Amino acid sequence: MAHAFRRRPDGSLACRLDGEEKAILTQVAQETADLIRADLGIDAERDVLRRAAESEDPLRRLEAEFAGRDAREPSDSAVKRLFPAASEDPGLAAEYRRLGQQDLADGKLADLRTVMQVLDATGGGHSEIVVDDAGAMSMLRALNDVRIVLADRLGLERDGDFDTVRMLQQIGERVEGMERSGDEEHVSSDIVIAVYELLSWLQESLLRALD
Amino acid sequence: MPVEMPRADPATGTRTALSPEVEVTAEADGPWCTVVWNDPVNLMSYVVFVFRRYFGYSRLVAEQLMMQVHEEGRAIVSRGSRERVETDVQAMHSFGLRATLERAGED
Repeated sequence: MAHAFRRRPDGSLACRLDGEEKAILTQVAQETADLIRADLGIDAERDVLRRAAESEDPLRRLEAEFAGRDAREPSDSAVKRLFPAASEDPGLAAEYRRLGQQDLADGKLADLRTVMQVLDATGGGHSEIVVDDAGAMSMLRALNDVRIVLADRLGLERDGDFDTVRMLQQIGERVEGMERSGDEEHVSSDIVIAVYELLSWLQESLLRALD
Repeated sequence: MPVEMPRADPATGTRTALSPEVEVTAEADGPWCTVVWNDPVNLMSYVVFVFRRYFGYSRLVAEQLMMQVHEEGRAIVSRGSRERVETDVQAMHSFGLRATLERAGED
């Protein structure tokens, strides 16, 4: 059972999570990081570029230098939300992406890594999670980014959509009681809803503790 | 680009302004502005926190800007040079807020 974040006398922030909650958080943080890397082609491209940059061939080095400046446009709908166009003008948006997307991705991946490290350091069971202010900022941003990915998978597009999804789930539970339909897709969306609620609750609790 | 530099902008010194609209138009110190758009994911308390923490706005101004985003779909949250506004947009994206830069007066 999770306990909300609170400010401790030494200024740090602490909450309590059980082993299962920590495992879920770690998993969704890892999946979000993997999704960002895969969709933006981060690791694969960097390896190729590093080899090209170290090449003997000056043309390949030049090529690597220019290729490194290209930022791949996100194709996954959730990654599009994490890396939105910075302008309604496509030319300006592309230029902005080229200049800033890599740093933005590095920051998001670092935040997700911080959360995974903080959770990992506490071991497997029910335990206290302690973060300093910088860690709290990383956690706030990472929780939000994971929520953005889950919201995309749940199809949330407008204010109030989550309430609708929640209501449909409850109706579904009632109907299921009568006719027992246990299809996989239904079960997995129930899990996504539960994780989304856990993350929202944790983020809200951290915001209150920081206030 | 440094993304998490909490700063109190001297140009947004009208902290006592009751309306954010007044505040942002009164300090028109540049031709560009940062626009934050509504989305169904970000918690209201989170958006207020980000506006206070990053821009150094008072709670009142941050809450009014958040409500403007929520009710009108968008709000101008800062103005300045293109470079300044680009930094602000990048920061908003780092917090997961949907933000764009615009030439002032476009809307």
